[in-house]
Amino acid sequence: MDNKIVIRKMNKFYGRKQALFDIDLTIEQGMFGLLGRNGAGKTTLMKTIAALHPMKSGEVTVCGVPVGEAAKIRSMIGYLPQDFSMYPNMRTDEALDYLGALSGIPSKERKQRVEALLKKVNLYEHRNKKVKQLSGGMKRRLGIAQALLHDPKVLIVDEPTAGLDPEERIRFRNLLCETAEERIVILSTHIVGDVESTCENIAIMDEGKILWRGTVRELLENARGHVYTANIEKQYMAQVKKEYIVTGMVAQAEYTTVTIVSDAEPDLPNAVLTEPDLEGAYMYCLRSNGCDMKGGEE
Amino acid sequence: MLFRHECKKIVCSAAFIVYCVLSLLFFFTNYWTDCSDEVSCSGQGLIAVEDHDRIMDGATNSLMGDFASNRYECYPYGFYKAVHLKEKKREKVRSYLEEITGVSGEDFDKLLETGDTYYEGFSTKELYQFHDIPVKEGFSYDRFVEIMADVDDIVGGGSIYNPEGLMYTFSLVPMAEEDIKAEQDDFYKEDKITRGLARLFCDYTGIDLTILPVFAAAWLTAADKKRRMHELVYTRDISSLRLVLTRYGALLFTMAIPVLAMMILSLIQALVVYKGHSMDMLAFFKLPVVWLLPNLMFTTAVGVLVTEIFSSPVAILSQLAIWFYSVMAGSMQLSGNLSRFALVPRHNTPFERGVFLAEQNEFIFSRVFWTVISMVLMLLAVAVYSAKRGGRFNGIRLFGKDSIFRRKA
Repeated sequence: MDNKIVIRKMNKFYGRKQALFDIDLTIEQGMFGLLGRNGAGKTTLMKTIAALHPMKSGEVTVCGVPVGEAAKIRSMIGYLPQDFSMYPNMRTDEALDYLGALSGIPSKERKQRVEALLKKVNLYEHRNKKVKQLSGGMKRRLGIAQALLHDPKVLIVDEPTAGLDPEERIRFRNLLCETAEERIVILSTHIVGDVESTCENIAIMDEGKILWRGTVRELLENARGHVYTANIEKQYMAQVKKEYIVTGMVAQAEYTTVTIVSDAEPDLPNAVLTEPDLEGAYMYCLRSNGCDMKGGEE
Repeated sequence: MLFRHECKKIVCSAAFIVYCVLSLLFFFTNYWTDCSDEVSCSGQGLIAVEDHDRIMDGATNSLMGDFASNRYECYPYGFYKAVHLKEKKREKVRSYLEEITGVSGEDFDKLLETGDTYYEGFSTKELYQFHDIPVKEGFSYDRFVEIMADVDDIVGGGSIYNPEGLMYTFSLVPMAEEDIKAEQDDFYKEDKITRGLARLFCDYTGIDLTILPVFAAAWLTAADKKRRMHELVYTRDISSLRLVLTRYGALLFTMAIPVLAMMILSLIQALVVYKGHSMDMLAFFKLPVVWLLPNLMFTTAVGVLVTEIFSSPVAILSQLAIWFYSVMAGSMQLSGNLSRFALVPRHNTPFERGVFLAEQNEFIFSRVFWTVISMVLMLLAVAVYSAKRGGRFNGIRLFGKDSIFRRKA
């Protein structure tokens, strides 16, 4: 059985509205980042892979199994939705035990796995706390633990770091990287930093289409020659933001150093080419694919 | 293990606590109060007897009165309704009365005018004519019942002319001393006290179990979505069949707990009140299983299925409608109402063992029928859950921004 997810010409509709257009993607073992703005279709794609949504046409196989075989898919996939919770009055270990029972894990094995996973996600000391007493970060870690309970071949996490503080975010990313050593992990996010620090392979989505797929290095290479920095006096900032895609700003005493994404050399004094970071490369990718960019128009 | 988890979830819910409180409240205010002293048959007053002549005379004269005033009291779906017939239907009723009395034409018109005594309508408080006209000599009772069934249809159903209620409306006689003694003897000797009491217990509790479980069933079914946990559950290994039926089993088990407590309390009460008498110690644990389990199964199944389909409290409203109709359908006959499709069988007395036994086959049929219906509903619930899990069905929203009415608009 091949250890990859293969998506071919997949289309998905909500009623008459098409949500996904001819998706073609191959996802192999390790961390895979799915990057895109809110509403790009990432969650729809994740749910289709997890057999939570039917597709209109195309083909999706997870480790060789078509997604139509939902029962087999469920046994192979661990899923952490974007918006989830658990029964608030259940204890942390009890909530995991319940979900483990739903996964059909035998009682004795379940007990061992719950204990091991609580230790892995640093929640063992909080095992007797009720779910409603956990912080947002703790709940996310509990979410990862539940998704790993049945030792799935594929882990799908949808916007897992939204709303977390920086410390929790780093802890969470590290946790994901550890789990990716032995399985496919798909990280769907609109936060470029999450992908930058964890994923080698990525895809960028917008309006239900895959705009770009490849490695992080290739994406950076793609943007090389299109990212500039310039020192702008404060009175011209509004105009610069209006005319260019500004991906970074560092305020100095008399001027602001801005990072700009542009096809051609910007008509700005002292603008110099710079090495693109992933955020800039991502913005360039969106721009070069004709996406509506309204980010800098404040 | 999963069963234990589901039971714990239910038991810790507010819906279950409300269910327990209301069940016990109804129990103590009805059955417990009725049976706090030794029950006496002499208080029964009237008894329905299957006297065909009495039934035909009573119903014919009542119909004459209704025909004369052209006003018929009906209770379709349990609600009072005064029906006034149009000419064509009046003619039909008249032809039936002429057939029954054997009097027609002008003679019949004269007969109508003979009503000189008036009585007050039960609900309307209006005055009705009372007649005393004999039924034609040798008139067939079977034909009479046919006519009454048609008259009931003509006036819209739910009238006192419904054949099932004729005996209980028009053939009530005061109980004779020997009848009272026979009933008392049956209660103590044949029913061993507790069998009769168990029937009364089931009569009251059946009414409760046809509505109260729907609250907990709707709560548990909607809980995953309400707690934003449904996608975590949808992606688990467990089959939809096993999950839905395990939850159904947990609902039945937990909601049977207060019923079991009430059975034990009833037995203890009987042991205290009838100290020294011989009793059937298992009666409270035998009949209620047969009588009440189908009600619990059906009400819970409606709660699960309708909540799966509509993802809203529609289940409670629909079961309220079913409950109201079922209880009202039997309200004209509180004892021995054990008809073939009765969801809420009625036998609101610890006596009348003979009436109960005479209807036993119908009663058993109804219990099997509602059990089968419950199972069918649960299989539908499994299918709906499975479709929702795979994203093929997202439920029908009647309220809120995704309401089907709003989408159509």
